[in-house]
Formats: sequence, C-alpha cells, structure tokens
Amino acid sequence: MTATEPTPRATPSVPTATATSAAAATLTPTATRRPSTFRQYRILLGKDLRREFRTREMLTSMGIYAVLVLIVFGTALMQASAGFDVLPVAGGLIWALIVFTSLLGLNRSFSHEKEEAALEGIMLVPLDRSVIFLAKASANVLFLLVVEIITLPLFYFLFLSGSALAATFGLAIVPLLVGTIGIAGVGTLLATITVNTRGQDVLLAVLFVPLVFPLLYACVAATSVALLGGEDMMATFGPAVALAAAYDVIMILVSWLLYDFIISA
Amino acid sequence: MTEKPNIFDRLAPALLVLGALLTTAAFILNFTSAPLVQGALLPDNGLAVIGGQVVTNKLLLSQKIFYFHMPVAVTSFVALLFTAVFGVLFLVKRNSHYDLMAKVATEVALVFILMTMVSGEMWERFEWGVWWTWEPRLTTYFILMLLVIGYFILRNAIDDAERRATYAAAFGIIAFIDAPISLMITRLVPSGAHPVIFRTDSGLSTPMLIPLLLAMFGFFCLAFALYRFRLRQQTLKARLDALKTNLED
Amino acid sequence: MTEVVEKTSAPVAAAAAADSALEVRALSKAFGTRKALDSLSFELPTGAFLAICGANGAGKTTLLRILATLARPSSGSVSVLGCDIKEQPDEVRARIGFISHRSMLYPDLTAEENLLLAARLYGVVEPQTRVSELLAAVELTARRYDLARSFSRGMTQRLAIARALIHDPQLVLLDEPYTGLDPHASEIFDALLATQRASRSFVLVSHDLRKGFELASHLLLLNRGKLELFAPSAELDFASFSQLYYQTVGG
Repeated sequence: MTATEPTPRATPSVPTATATSAAAATLTPTATRRPSTFRQYRILLGKDLRREFRTREMLTSMGIYAVLVLIVFGTALMQASAGFDVLPVAGGLIWALIVFTSLLGLNRSFSHEKEEAALEGIMLVPLDRSVIFLAKASANVLFLLVVEIITLPLFYFLFLSGSALAATFGLAIVPLLVGTIGIAGVGTLLATITVNTRGQDVLLAVLFVPLVFPLLYACVAATSVALLGGEDMMATFGPAVALAAAYDVIMILVSWLLYDFIISA
Repeated sequence: MTEKPNIFDRLAPALLVLGALLTTAAFILNFTSAPLVQGALLPDNGLAVIGGQVVTNKLLLSQKIFYFHMPVAVTSFVALLFTAVFGVLFLVKRNSHYDLMAKVATEVALVFILMTMVSGEMWERFEWGVWWTWEPRLTTYFILMLLVIGYFILRNAIDDAERRATYAAAFGIIAFIDAPISLMITRLVPSGAHPVIFRTDSGLSTPMLIPLLLAMFGFFCLAFALYRFRLRQQTLKARLDALKTNLED
Repeated sequence: MTEVVEKTSAPVAAAAAADSALEVRALSKAFGTRKALDSLSFELPTGAFLAICGANGAGKTTLLRILATLARPSSGSVSVLGCDIKEQPDEVRARIGFISHRSMLYPDLTAEENLLLAARLYGVVEPQTRVSELLAAVELTARRYDLARSFSRGMTQRLAIARALIHDPQLVLLDEPYTGLDPHASEIFDALLATQRASRSFVLVSHDLRKGFELASHLLLLNRGKLELFAPSAELDFASFSQLYYQTVGG
C-alpha cells in the first residue's frame, strides 16, 4: 500500500549542483605515503597533549580531586595525637591518593574520543591499532606524572613537614614512576572497555582496583621503605621494585596484545 | 532439530556420582586414617600472639579443613584456567559457543572460590586465631574473588552480545594472568607488618596424601559435572530464546 | 605483448586498477543465533553510486561497517576496490572515506587541526596544501582557526566531509549523512556530493527512499539481513521500487 506518485526515471540522476562554488568540483588528486608507526604514535600523542593543553580538562579535574582526597586524609588523621607521625603510613596514603586520582583521569581519557566518534575516525586510518593504545597510555602517564609533581609536595607540606624523612626518600621516585606506568597501561586498556558500558565510572573502579592490586602492594612497600630508610631497607626495596617492574612488563605486553581485539569490538 | 548430547554430557551424571563418592571417601579417611598434625610452626617455643590471641603449635583438629580447602582452591583455579583458554579460543575463532563456555567456567570458578574463602576463613580463625590477615594466599584469593565478580558485573553492563563476549574474554585472560602475579608479589615482597606463619613441613605422609588426592580428584569431577550441566542448560536456553524470537517474527 | 586499448566510454576515470568498487560473495554476519546478514552477494562497478535501503535492523549499518573494516564478517568474502577486507585491511582503509551522522571530529581542536591530524595520519604528502584546498572546497576557510565545537550542524557535517576526503579515497561510504541536517544544509551536502561523483564511487545508507533513489545508480534493498533486491536504478521506477520496499518491509 503506497500512496506515492510514480516518478519514472530512466537514468540515474545527478542532483542539481548549484549551491557550491566551482572550486569544489576540482579537488586535485593527492598522493599519500603511509607514515611510520612511530610517527603515527607521535601524531596521536601530540593530539592528546594539544587537546589537554587547550582544555586542561583532565589536569584540573584530577588536581582538584587530589586536593580533596588530601583534605579527607587530613580529616581522617585529625583525631590522632599531636605527635602522631604520619611517616610509617605515608607510602600507603600516597598510593591511595594516586589510585583514586588516576581513576578519575582514566575515566575521562576516552570521553572525548567517543563524543563525536572520533575514535572511529582514527580506526579508519591504516595503522597498527596497538599504536592507539601506546599513545593513549603515554598521554595518561604524562598527565598522571604532572598531577603527582603538583600534589606530592603538597602532601609533604601537609603531612610530613614535621617528620624525619630518611636520606633515601629520593628513591621513592622509582616506585612512583614504575607504578604510574603500570596504572596507566592497565587503566588505558580497562578504560577502553568501560567507555562502552553502562555505568562506566563505577565499572572502571570495580575492574581496575583488583587488577592493579599486586602493583599497588609492591609500590606501597617500596615507597614506604624508601621514606622510612633503615639498614635492611634494600632487602624490601629491591624485590618490590623488581616485581612491580615485572608486573608492568607482563601486563602492558598482554594489554598491547589484547588491544586490537578490544578496540575493534 | 534434536541434537544428540555429546560424550561429555552423557558422562556428566556419572562424574557427578563419582565426585560425590570420592569426596565422601576422602572425608571419611580424613578423620580415620590421616594423623593429626601440628598447627602453625611458630618461632618462640611454639607460642605467638596473633591478633590478641595466643596461638600455640598444639595438635589441631581444625587442620582437617585443609583436606577440603586445598582441593577446592586448586579446582577453582583450574576452572579459571578454562575461562582464560576459552577466552583465547573465542578471540581467535569468534564463535559464540566459546563465550558461553568461558562464562559457565567462570561461574563454576566463582562457586569454588566462595567455598575456598569460607573454608579458609574457618581454618584461619582456628589455626591462626584471627578472622582476617593480609596473608599472601588469602589476599590473592580475595582479589581473585573480586576479579571474578567484576567479570560478571562487566558482562551485565554490555548489551551487544559480540562486544560483551570480546570484552569478557579479554578480561578473563588478563585476570587469570593477574592472579599468580598477585600471589608472587604478596609472597615475595617482605613485609614487617605481620608474622610470617608459613607451614614449612610441606611433606605429607601417605595416609595424609591419600584423602587429599581423593578429595582433589573428587572435586575436579564435581566441578566438571557442574560445568557440563550448566553449559547444557544454557545452550538449550539460548536455543529456546532463538525459537521464541523466530516465533514472534 | 598484449595491446591494451584504453577506451573509457564511462564518465568515470577512476584511478583504481580494479574494475569493481565492491565485490561481495556470500557475506554473512552472525553471532550466536542472531543473523545480522545472511549470505549477501553482489558486485558494484567503479564509479557507481549504491544506495542501501531497508528498515531498522535490516542490517544496513552492519553491512556498511563491514565494508569500512570497522566490523568483521563471519563468513564470505568482500573485496573493496580489488583489496580483500580480511587479507589487506590497511589497503582498503587507505582507499575509503567514511561519513556518518557523527562527525568523527575532536570538538576541542580547530577545523584546521582536525584536518591536519587526519592528513598526517594518512600520510598525505603535502598536508598543509591539502587542508587549505579542502577547507576552500567546503567553504570553511574563514573558520579554519575556530574550534569544531563552535560549528553549526551543517558546518560540522561539511568539515566531516573534508576529513573523509582528505586522503582522496576512491570509495566514499555514507551512513545516514542527512540525520540532523536542515533542508538548506542537506542541499549544500547534495551539491558537494555531486561535485565528487565523477571521481569516486559511493555507498549510501539511508532511511529516505526517495533521496536514495534519486542519488543512486544502483539500489540494494535489505530485509532482515537478506538481499531482496540489487539492481541498477535505471531498470526501476520509483513507484515500483517503493512498492517493493513496502511489500518486503511491511510484509
């Protein structure tokens, strides 16, 4: 049952083109030469950095959130006696701060890719799709490091200014770096998954925290002993950092292998 | 369209009975032939204070839980191995049946992980005197339980069947790899916070080994039978759903 | 030595070596018991304009996403401009452009940055020149330094076209491109398409029967994943086409 008037058309029609200028008609043919994988990585990373530099969306939200977590820590420790030394638990608190803050950032890291389906546009380009993973994970490492550089001195100022830091405290940079890389690697994989799910924010936390638990455990141990010092400090620091690094290598390798499947789903 | 149940499905009821018999036998032997062993080997004259309780290395009846606990734990881990293997198979072959198999294997794993947690808690309470300690194996199993629960939450959060299968496969694989790393790290990173109470006399005498092995084999049979029953039920359900949709069309 | 006599009577001077834009053989897409596409076979010559019509859930978008290498087929073979989508996905990607109702742009980058990003990823030899040329073609030169976020729907769609054409694709896939466009914007869109028809092949997925019929040189009708019709539009008139459509869909 159709009410349409028959409109016989013998030839495939071309719509009448009058609206645009003549320039549109003459697009010159262009040559393409596929860039190297490393160059595509740099282009994608540059895109994320440029976006962030312009909007400061992730850095501001993560920074503010980190300060809020510090306030909560302060409140939690408020009732402890005046001479209470935060130092023995400082390693743990620092990592709690990093985990919560990174969750917020990771949740954000794919939202602009989905807003106008820009990620699909990237996937239409001939490239090795694990490059997308490496570029995004690198961007997340950089953003997390920036937030750590801002908030960790603040943490020292608020909680540790009265404590006697061990001379080895500078070594804490090692687990911080190793841990941040692992968090960004696993987190980027999981964020790619959860951005396509219902209730993505909660789901990311549910999957992320148990998965990075081993890394967290090793990093807390290494950071704590670095801050506390002591004679047998290296007995803990060495294996903890080595195991955290092993976690990074294994997990990032697995994520890299699985990424093509995940992003294509 | 009736399909003959395959060899595994026909074996499943037999395995269920066999598993039940074996675990029962193990249970009886456990209390009749296996000797009592000392509890935790503790440093200072066999005395230690854990969680405000004095723990001695006396002979413990609670150690009998071990014959249940350990096989269940091993079984749950084997079930997770199946999750990971089916996950890999799914990613390679893109056949939805592998996704279903992975899901059912994970369900079985969850059941056994819960049993492991409960039996472990009881053992710990009576042997170590505390309900909870961040001991490596215990912590690992706690994390494993959260990962498996996360697996199901993930599945529930995705509507598209193919995407759900892909994500679940990937997460199943990565969770399976995460578990041993978790055990390794919690075990190898020294921590001064709690006493190390590892059993050092891991050698088991024959009367102890027999019920342990019987129980282990029995639980394998039970787990496999459970897996096949559930898989068959789920396969039939999927087919029924498909028929219903066809009818509606 | 074989003597090759070039005698192109068709108005198409496609650079492609392949003489068919699409070659689809027994293409199926299924997951579990759900069949999205059921054994499709057709062949589209280069330079053609194919319109894919069908009701919601007929499998139009699935088919288009398979052609764009964004989804994988369960069985069967598809070759796009002579390249197999399973064996040579990167070759296919280098030859196709994709325009959907979602712009695939980064709202927080400027028009120029969006195009430059795509140009560099594809490896366009002179990205700056190419971007300027395309911005002129879609009449956005004046807005090149403005964020994509500030664009109207019509302007966004024009920028999306420029992005899709940046690497000079020989086949352009259009997924419901008229969604959300006002009549004026869709007129401009039509005109832009018209200028490109001479040099490329097109595949359009649309709800709009009449529009699809008017634009297309070939028509494809899908119903519940099955191919109901594949024919050059010259062999049909609109009345019989729409009648067929309502018969199969309403059936």
